[in-house]
This record gives sequence, C-alpha cells and structure tokens, in this order.
Amino acid sequence: MPENSDRELAEIRRKIKEILVEGLSLEHWTPEEIKDDEILFGQGLDLDSLDAAEIAVLIQRNFNFIVGDPEQTREAFYSISTLAEYIYQNTQGQD
Amino acid sequence: MKYEPVVISGMGVISATGGDLAESLSSLEKGQRNFLPKATLFPTSLDFPVFQASSLPDRYHLEGRRSISLALCAVDEALAEAGLANGLDGARVGVCLGTTVSSQLNDQKFYFTLRQEGAAPLEPVDRYVKMELSSYIKEKIGARGPALTVVNACSSGSDALGVALSWLRHGVCDIVVAGGADELSHIPLCGFVSLGIVSPSPCAPFDKNRKGLNLGEGAGVLVLESQSSAKKRGAPSRLRLLGYGSCADAYHLTAPRPDGAGLITAIHRAMMEAGISPEQIGFINAHGTATPDNDKVEGKVFQQLFGEKILTHSTKGYTGHTLGAAGGIEAVFAAAFLREGWMPGSAGFETYDEEVGLAPVGRKTVSDATHALSTSLAFGGNNAALIMGIE
Amino acid sequence: MFINGMGIVFAGGSGIEKFEGALAGPWVAPNSHNEAGLPSYQADLAGAGRQDLLKKIRRADKMSKMAVVAAADAAEDAGLENLAAHRVGVILSTAHGPHVTTFKFLDGIYDYGEEEVSPITFSNSVHNSTCSYIAQTMDIQGPTLTVTQFFHSFYNALSLASLWLADDRVDYALVGGVEQYGDVLSWIVDQKLTTAKDGMIKPFNLTPTPQVPGEGAAFFLVSKTAMGKAYCQVDDIFLGWDADRAIKADIRVIDSDGMAPDESAYLACGSSGVPMAAYSPLFGSMMSGSAFNMAAAALTLKHQRVYPNPVADNPHNLPLLPKDFGVDINRMSCLRFDCRGEAMGAHLSRA
Repeated sequence: MPENSDRELAEIRRKIKEILVEGLSLEHWTPEEIKDDEILFGQGLDLDSLDAAEIAVLIQRNFNFIVGDPEQTREAFYSISTLAEYIYQNTQGQD
Repeated sequence: MKYEPVVISGMGVISATGGDLAESLSSLEKGQRNFLPKATLFPTSLDFPVFQASSLPDRYHLEGRRSISLALCAVDEALAEAGLANGLDGARVGVCLGTTVSSQLNDQKFYFTLRQEGAAPLEPVDRYVKMELSSYIKEKIGARGPALTVVNACSSGSDALGVALSWLRHGVCDIVVAGGADELSHIPLCGFVSLGIVSPSPCAPFDKNRKGLNLGEGAGVLVLESQSSAKKRGAPSRLRLLGYGSCADAYHLTAPRPDGAGLITAIHRAMMEAGISPEQIGFINAHGTATPDNDKVEGKVFQQLFGEKILTHSTKGYTGHTLGAAGGIEAVFAAAFLREGWMPGSAGFETYDEEVGLAPVGRKTVSDATHALSTSLAFGGNNAALIMGIE
Repeated sequence: MFINGMGIVFAGGSGIEKFEGALAGPWVAPNSHNEAGLPSYQADLAGAGRQDLLKKIRRADKMSKMAVVAAADAAEDAGLENLAAHRVGVILSTAHGPHVTTFKFLDGIYDYGEEEVSPITFSNSVHNSTCSYIAQTMDIQGPTLTVTQFFHSFYNALSLASLWLADDRVDYALVGGVEQYGDVLSWIVDQKLTTAKDGMIKPFNLTPTPQVPGEGAAFFLVSKTAMGKAYCQVDDIFLGWDADRAIKADIRVIDSDGMAPDESAYLACGSSGVPMAAYSPLFGSMMSGSAFNMAAAALTLKHQRVYPNPVADNPHNLPLLPKDFGVDINRMSCLRFDCRGEAMGAHLSRA
C-alpha cells in the first residue's frame, strides 16, 4: 500500500541520515539538519569517492544487501531520497 | 648543484616472478604470470587473484614476520652481487627500507585474543618490536650506519631509495642497502577490496577494461654506494641511480590528483638530479597498478612529458601490487632491463584506452636505452620518481 | 639548519605558549586513567586552534588531527604563510603509527567480516595518511615522507630534513613526531615495562624509569637560514655517542621516559658534569618524545631561561639542571638511547 511504503521510505531516510552522520564523521551536521532531498556529492553534503565506498559498506551492514556495480548505483547515490528508494527496492521481501 | 652519481653495485629481488633476479627475468621474458586465484597464505573468503612469492626458501622463514623474511632473501642476493656477502669490510653501511604491513602491530590472533579475554600472549608484540624492518636487517648484516624504515604507503620503496641517495651524497654512510619489502597480508586485502579497487581477474594495467589491482608481495633491494667507494672496492657495476624526485598531490586521501601535477614535479626533479632531458629517457617502468584512476593519471603525464611513443610498461601484471616493496622491486627490474637490453611486455594489456592516451609495450621489446624512469604513486597522494642509468 | 617555528599538541593543550607554561610550571599528574586504572597523558583537541583545518578533515583519526594542528602551528609560528607558494617538504616520524585505527579496522573484520570492513578506517590506518592530511589542509605541494624506527624515529626524520635542505630539495621542511594513546598499547607497555602507578615518570631513576604513556604531536619548521624569530640552530644530528667524545654542552636534555626496560645508558651522560634535564614527566612516555624534549631545548636557547626538571628524583646523583643557571646558555645537547644502547641526538646552539 502506498501509505505503508511512504512511511517505510521516511523511516529509511531517517535511518540513513543517522548512519551517514555517524559513519562519515559529518561533524558539522545533525541528522535533523539534513533535508530529505539533500544532494550527496559535489554539493549538499559534499561527499567524495571515499565516502561513496563507505556508504556501500554502511548499507551492507545496516540493510543487509550488497550494493551493486557503481555504474548502476550512480543514480541511487544522488540524494538522500534516491538512496532511500534504492534501499527500499532492495529490501522488499526482507524480514 | 652537482650530484655525484651513485653506483648500483648489487640487486636482489623476490616476488611471484621468482626467488631471485635470474629466475624473475626468466619468467618476465616468457611473459609468465604466476598468480593464484585466491590467497593461500591466510584463510579468506575473498576470491581475488593474488601474486604470492612462492619460492621463498624455508631458511628465511620467520614466524609472523614474512615481510622481514622476504627482505632478508633479497638483501642476501644484493650483498652477494655487490661482493659484500662475507662481511661489510669496515664500511659504514646504512639500511633504509620501505614497507607498509611490517610496520604495524596487526597480528589478528593477538588482537582478537586480547579483545576477548583481556590478555594475550605477547610473542607477536616481541616479534614486532625486535624485528623492526630496517633495524633488524641492520643488525643481521652487521651494519654500523643509520637504519630507517620508510612508511609512505605505495611509494615507500622508491622513497627509501631516495633517502639512500641523500645519505650517500652527504657522506652519512659509504654504502646503503635500500629498497622495500611487504608480505601479502589479509588486512590490506580486506581494505583494498572495501575500497572497490581490487580486480576479480588478473590485473590489466593501462587496458581500457582494467578493473583494478591485484595484491602481491615481495622485496626488492639495491646496494648503493658512491662512485669512489665502488672504485675503491673494485665493484665493477655499470648501473647508476641518478635521480629521485618526490612530491605530494595535496589533494585527496585515496584519489590521485587528476592533472598529475605532483607526479610531474617529482619526475622533473628526478631528471634534474640525473642531469638529463626527457628525450634521454629510454623507457618507463610505470607504477601501473591497473586501477582506473592511477593508469589514467600516469598515461596523461607520460604522454605530456615524453610523447605517446615512449616505451612504457608495468610489471604489476607479473608481481601484483606489492605496496611498500613495489618501488624497490621495480627499481631492480628497471635497472636489470637497462643491463639486459630488453623489457617485458606489459602483461594484461589488450585494448587501448583513450583516457590513458598511450599503449604500453605489448611483448618483450629490445631496447638500447641508457636511462630508465620508474614511478610510484602512493595512497595518500605522494608521488615518487627514480631515474636509473647505465654507462 | 635553523628552527624557525614550533607547534605542539600535548596533554597540557596545544600551542607553544601552553608548552612553555607547562615547562615553567610544576609537575602535573596524568590527566587520564583507563578502566584498568593505568595512567596516561592524553591530548585534548577541543581547545586547539586551527579548528578551520580540522573541519576540512572530518574523517581523520586523532593521530592525524594532532599532527595537522601541530604542523600548521609550526608554520604559523615561523610566520610562513601561503605554503603552496613555497617549496615545503614534510617529514613525519612515528614509532607506532596509527595503531588505534589499525585495531579499529581489525574490530571491523571481527565484527562484520572481511567483506564489510570500513574503507575510511582502512585508509586512515595507512601510515602516511597523516602526511596526506597535512599536505591537503595546508596545500603543501612538496615531498612528504613518513618514517619510523622506534626510538630514533624523530632524530632520523630531523637528519633527513637537514639533507633535504642541503640537497636544495626544499626551502623549508616541516619535521615532526606524533604518537597516539591507545588502550591496547597501554596494556602492552604495562606488561613489558614498569608503569608509574603513581603517575609520576621519574626520568633519572633509569634502572628502570617508570613510564606513563603519552600522546601528542610536535612539529618544527626548519630552513637553512634563520627567519625572524628563529629559536636556535641545529648544528648536527649524531648517531652514536660516548661521554669522552661528546661535545661540551651547557645543558644536556635526555629522552629517558621508561620506554626501554633499562635506561642505564643515560648514566654515562652524567660523568661530564653537564647539567641534565628531562621533560618527559610533562607530556608522557613516547618513543618520539624526542621531539618534545628538543622543543624544550629550543625554548631554553631562545629565551635564555632554564626550565627546571619537573621531577627531580635523583637516586644516581646525576648533575641535574639547577634552578638558577647564572651563565649564558649557548649550546644544548639532546639525545635518546634505544634499547640496544645506541644513541641518536642533536646539538643545538643559539641562533
């Protein structure tokens, strides 16, 4: 149901923000300050390639699936929202 | 400023290519790639090809200190060629070796036991303390000069040779045993895999479809001395270490500076010290790790400085990336290729990559080069360049 | 070679003024005890200057952060600005390197398995990550080198800096030492060496000297010629020392701090009657503690002021530095013995 998925997506976004602040040592951000459509690379959070590698591991650790080919995940790694959708799609059917 | 040439009077090398220089040259000449589908030195589920130095003689075995064993093996060979196998003859000898793995207290069994039980047997700590790479080699060969270990990641071996040049030029010692040594270790394997830069297939330096590096291990050691010292001892070598340059990218922890400015500065400095111009470089032994970034930067820089026709090869396709040993092993290879008059084909290369902008030599190539360049680009952004010559 | 600027991060804070204050003040007890009750001197970066630089290196570990602050302070202290416009090199010495981060990486293997380790932690566990952060934050596009050799790490780095200057490889070098505190290393040294349970390092006890792990970074900006506020000149860096051939110095600073089980080699330093000082009780036991002791010697020469020994227990009747030192201080000798009894050190003179 769409309502359910909206709620789940919101929960994933909230979790990602916490994970990124902690895992990437974003000392000058709090999870609450990060917007849902915050851009990850180049602007917004201004992350780089090393952060991208770390995010892949953080997703693996926290959402229990393996992040695929970087070419395919480039779009998913655009913003908090796109990342949440990517995670949502890959965790459907998990307990 | 005038720099007195430094003589390479002995060389020793061990890697997956072989247990000494002769064996290594033989497999390089044949284009033989001695990789394993996965590491066997430690238990792992990581299925990535590696290059292990399987011909390390048992007599060099040191429990938990494989890097030191590899170093000792190469040091013995180098000292023998330099005519110093039976003692250092009263000379003031320094030791400067590069490494990554052996400089860390990283014994997993020790650490996990300590973590779980709050105490652990201290033998691994004793080994770590007593067998500090350069100090231990110094003690082992009875050297009386300085000992220093360079821990500059993947350019450590080249940088150690640079330190040796400084020591010799300023009379800190008469002879230096210098180079690098690193074992294949589980820790960097996990680390490099997590960075996504390890190739699941045998590495392909400069190839359009390269997928990253393979890890390897080994040691490469040069015995260096001033011309006057070599003359006095009657050491007849024609090989010279002529120049060294080093420069940081000041850019990023893991990615090289895209314009290669640091590498260019390092190469210019090395050529200036050697007193040569770019046209005199006969060939390049590139760092050529086969990561997308590294090869792109090197290709661009070589093309810009030497033109796209410059004979370039990477020996990483035969040795894997040996980290702190790479600069030492590749300096030995580059000097040996000058002496032998040929260089091997750059293993793994098939398809030209426009982004790299040059094709490495495809098969064994004869050359009458008098000068060779060897480059190292380190994790952390340090670039090092060495120039070897033959008289 | 001249020392033109210094930057220090230690348990007493960050900055030369803080270090000078500690040298002039009384002994201060260790600022930390771990769960096992073992004392240590730990640096606090919260009050450090250069938060602007720290902001640029959010991912760096404490070892790198301490070194970045100390290196930046040393350049600023020397009045050297816009480092990209100069030929500057960096030589960092460390005995144990990023061991805390290495263990953290091993934790990752243990807790998550070999396929879920952190690439950031791995990157920070590589020895020269610290130099990389220094070069990045200060825009230093010159040679950077990290070296290690346990006890002689710092003096080897200093020696190499003088060669880089002589070779005209660089016009300025930032040379320093850094060590980070960690509970694992604290446990190890407590097993292998004598811990000062009362927290007091007694650097003239020597057989053995009780140790307390320290932490910090000390950097020096050196060049061939003296800049505006040069501290002192480094006359030479020596390997091997014996009392008979030692150069006459006004004061001798020794690096005894209990990091070797037996430091009786320092007893020979007393035979010449040269007043002795040791400042390890102020910053803790560190194999690259030589950098901190040399900073104390540089301050002594510049300010012509003696800093009395913070802990003056003297069971071997060594000639300790008196509180009142009536004459000019022109030459100082600093040295460290390794566990094999081999010394390395530096001779300093007034600029």
